[in-house]
Amino acid sequence: MPNKYQIAILGGGPGGYVAAIRAAQLGFKTVVIDKENLGGICLNWGCIPTKSLLKNVEIFDTIKNHGKEFGIYTKELSFNFTEIIQRSRGISDKITKNVELLIKKNKIDRIRGFGKLISQNEIEILDNDGKKTETMSADNIIIATGARPKTFPNIPVDRKSIITSTEAMNLAEQPKELIIIGAGAIGIEFAYFYSVLGTKVTLIEMLDHILPVEDAEVSQTLEKNFKKRGIEIYTKTMVEKAEVKGNKVSVTINQNGEKKTLSADKVLSAIGVTGNVEGFGLEELGVELFKNHIKVDKKTYQTNIPNIYAIGDVIGPPWLAHVASAEGIHCVEGIKGIKNPDVDYDNIPGCTYCQPQVASVGLTEAKAKELGYELKIGKFPFMASGKAFAVGEREGFVKLIFDAKYGELLGGHIIGSEATELIAEVSLARAMEATGHSIIKTVHAHPTLSESIMEAAANAYGEAIHI
Amino acid sequence: MDIIMPKMGESVNEGTIIKWHKKVGDVVKLDEIIFEISTDKVDTEIPAASAGVLSEILVKEGDTVEVGTVVARIKNSGAENSEIVISKKSSTEKSSQEIQKQISPSGRNDNNLTSNSESSKQNVQGNLIEIAMPKMGESVMEGTIIKWNKKVGDAVKKDEMIFEISTDKVDTEIPSPEAGTLVEILVGEQETVEVGTIVAKLSVGNQVKVQEGNNEENKKEDVHEIKSMHDNFSKPVELHSNEKGIGGGFFSPLVLSIAQKENVSFDELNSIKGTGLEGRVSKKDILTYIERRKTAGVQVQVKVQEKSEERKSISSAITQQVYNAADVEKIPMDNIRQRIMDHMVHSRDTSVHVTGLIEVDMTRIHNFINSKKDEIMKSENAKITYMAFIADAVVKSLKKYPLVNSSIDGNAILQKKFINLGIAVAIEPTGLIVPNIKGAGDKNVIGLAKAIADIANRARTKKLTPDDISNGTFTITNYGVFGTIFGTPIINQPEVAILGVGAAQKKPVVIEVDGSDTIAIRNIMALTLSHDHRLVDGMLGGMFLKNIKEVLENFEGII
Ligand SMILES: Cc1cc2nc3c(=O)[nH]c(=O)nc-3n(C[C@H](O)[C@H](O)[C@H](O)COP(=O)(O)OP(=O)(O)OC[C@H]3O[C@@H](n4cnc5c(N)ncnc54)[C@H](O)[C@@H]3O)c2cc1C
Repeated sequence: MPNKYQIAILGGGPGGYVAAIRAAQLGFKTVVIDKENLGGICLNWGCIPTKSLLKNVEIFDTIKNHGKEFGIYTKELSFNFTEIIQRSRGISDKITKNVELLIKKNKIDRIRGFGKLISQNEIEILDNDGKKTETMSADNIIIATGARPKTFPNIPVDRKSIITSTEAMNLAEQPKELIIIGAGAIGIEFAYFYSVLGTKVTLIEMLDHILPVEDAEVSQTLEKNFKKRGIEIYTKTMVEKAEVKGNKVSVTINQNGEKKTLSADKVLSAIGVTGNVEGFGLEELGVELFKNHIKVDKKTYQTNIPNIYAIGDVIGPPWLAHVASAEGIHCVEGIKGIKNPDVDYDNIPGCTYCQPQVASVGLTEAKAKELGYELKIGKFPFMASGKAFAVGEREGFVKLIFDAKYGELLGGHIIGSEATELIAEVSLARAMEATGHSIIKTVHAHPTLSESIMEAAANAYGEAIHI
Repeated sequence: MDIIMPKMGESVNEGTIIKWHKKVGDVVKLDEIIFEISTDKVDTEIPAASAGVLSEILVKEGDTVEVGTVVARIKNSGAENSEIVISKKSSTEKSSQEIQKQISPSGRNDNNLTSNSESSKQNVQGNLIEIAMPKMGESVMEGTIIKWNKKVGDAVKKDEMIFEISTDKVDTEIPSPEAGTLVEILVGEQETVEVGTIVAKLSVGNQVKVQEGNNEENKKEDVHEIKSMHDNFSKPVELHSNEKGIGGGFFSPLVLSIAQKENVSFDELNSIKGTGLEGRVSKKDILTYIERRKTAGVQVQVKVQEKSEERKSISSAITQQVYNAADVEKIPMDNIRQRIMDHMVHSRDTSVHVTGLIEVDMTRIHNFINSKKDEIMKSENAKITYMAFIADAVVKSLKKYPLVNSSIDGNAILQKKFINLGIAVAIEPTGLIVPNIKGAGDKNVIGLAKAIADIANRARTKKLTPDDISNGTFTITNYGVFGTIFGTPIINQPEVAILGVGAAQKKPVVIEVDGSDTIAIRNIMALTLSHDHRLVDGMLGGMFLKNIKEVLENFEGII
């Protein structure tokens, strides 16, 4: 007798494992299938290991570049690259084990193996050698197989010289020179990481600015900071080809028609991701795809086959862990019949964890103008914040964008220390449909960096105190 | 329980009440200060010796009474009390009804009761009971709520009907298992849920009092008490946010800001269905509402809108019962349809319609038109039709009987000194609009003919201005063009009468020629007048119709 489940989840990333726990809470007999450790890209090869690496270099950065400011001197400051990598791997290891425990605690069946849909209600499990180990049936199937780095033929990834983020966070040796193609969050984080350690980093971005989805003012501020660190930046630049030549990779770029060839030990390709939709039965079942991702109704996360759902990176942008989790929860609650407002894709925070950190939610100034809003913009530089002064993090600012007519908080943009923590207040304010004065009149603790959000709101209405 | 003036010392024999901290109907907790007294020894505050509701104050502030006098009474209602009542109920009344079994009290009452296990596990505090979708038959697995007869915050008596359901077997009304207050509605109208799903929560605190409350005043107090009990015992926030209806109560700063800028009243806000978290009205909801309000026109009042909403849900409930959904195409109404719907119901709900009919011999006019229409077309560039003559007759009759050219304003009659004659125009594919001829009283047949052609044409080509459709004083509707012989039209509000024009037909009629009866073939047309009996009685309506007939039949052949 094959095992029968109410919900089977294929993929145990932040989409899948979170959906599994919510399903168990709601009383569904649930199974989660993953061929790897639970936690997906996020916990194994994404969010968590990169954030661990970044902490190492932040400490190093502070001591090396700001030690004097704090009166801290070291005779000889050095680091051990291997240990830095090991710390990150160790954290990833422990945290994924914790997720396994969490799954067990919630009495969710966990199957390790490659899952393949053989019918609308059946999944077959294959082991590493492709041998079938078991079959199960399920009333509902949630696909959460995630995504993988996108590759292009002119940038042939060999995982040795031309690498993806996965290799970049697990190198045996620190590269002397690194060319990073793509200045999105992943590219930017590795640029910061390796440049602090002394690698000569070159960043290549096709669009106008690094972090091109962020507010232009934020991108420009970060660009200046990165240039000061010695990172070479090429924007509006296309990579024509990358070729491995012996121990080196040569990269031909084209900036406004001007061609140039760069060379480095390693090239990191960080130009987006593509959904994992192949090889596990989707084609055979006729699950509808859209641009290499699964097509779903973003209210129910149903595919064109009603009892098959899909969530997370595999359904397309924004490829973010918190989005995958939110979708997983909403999907399962929907199956249970719980009615909640749909995931609000206009209110998803986006964070980049370099220093200074970048975080934003809602519309950029340019986008808001394009949509025809009349704006009231409030800005507050950390330079004017007492807390920022005290902790020696005076770079950056908070920028809040309001609709002049109704006072809606259209967007918030922060660059600076702890920006990624601070943004939550802006997200909540937007979710609760707060106006500028809701923020201004909420007493913020002093001294904190979060006061800067209050001051930025006040600035929009000409009421800021410290500028 | 009686509260007495306490003895504050050996030699103290009386005390003065300085201040009451509680008023009648307030909930009082054990040891909570209820009043302050002053004696010749000491001033002090007196705490309650038991919890309950302050039911009576017998000594008012400033009065001095002897020690031992009863100054107030506390009624020990509340959790303990209602618990007892519930338990009694369920053990003595091992109910035979299916419904009763579905009711699953929760929280502290769990042990006392045999309850539906699934639902009682849901954590509800205090003296709330949950009402489930009842099983209406062996094979019935789900039910649709058609209508809530009560809203959140309403007091409900035992066995009073609280909602109506429809299942594939039967439609029925569901009585309340207990007296109490409806504190939460979990399943909205038109929603279908499985049998056993909790659809509402009822607070049964104070139910004893609700049952006792016979006169109006008592009832009011009861409601008040129930609310404040809740503030103390269960989830106050939830009750608070529910007080104004499902999901109502809380409006975000942004929604309030939009409401203020767009002149959306609080009543309107409360009428908007929220789609946000916990049923809140979101930015999107209010913007959609404003958009709709704009297109629906200023004249449609909120009340009407609410009504039509209610009606929509009822009518869709009816369709659900009669048809299989797969056999029916659901077509959203366009704006004009919604407006017509609102106007018609509004009119029917406003005016007392009575309809009279008169037959008019149109032969003379018929002949005149046939012989003169080309000539008049040439000389005046006007196409003369029956309608022009009828309009002319109406104008003349309105002048003679101006009360028909009026509207009602509360207890006053607004008799118009101008005649703006409305002409109902059908527009493709299924619309209807009533533009009016301004200053129709100053026009002759040709002027009216031109004006009718003009507004009809502009109505069909969508070139009417808001001015064209406002301030009408009387309306003519010509269904005769479709061959209809007679109809009973609905008055165009706020007017008080409408004339329906039937198709003219050749008919054999008995006429008197030179003193003897003969049968002749004449062009006969039926005119009907629907008039608002609140203002226009049968006599006036009849005389008005008769006057129109006379003008038309006695047409002299000169225009
Ligand atoms: C370097 C890097 C840094 C990142 N940093 C951040 C960040 O800071 N913040 C953020 O929000 N996001 C970050 N992301 C993105 C984030 O990791 C993803 O959005 C997130 O992991 C998506 O979750 P998911 O559950 O949809 O898919 P995944 O996490 O990709 O999980 C999919 C899982 O499915 C399994 N699987 C796939 N196919 C099968 C099959 N057929 N059978 C069995 N198992 C299968 C895989 O083994 C995998 O475990 C980062 C990504 C990268 C690469």
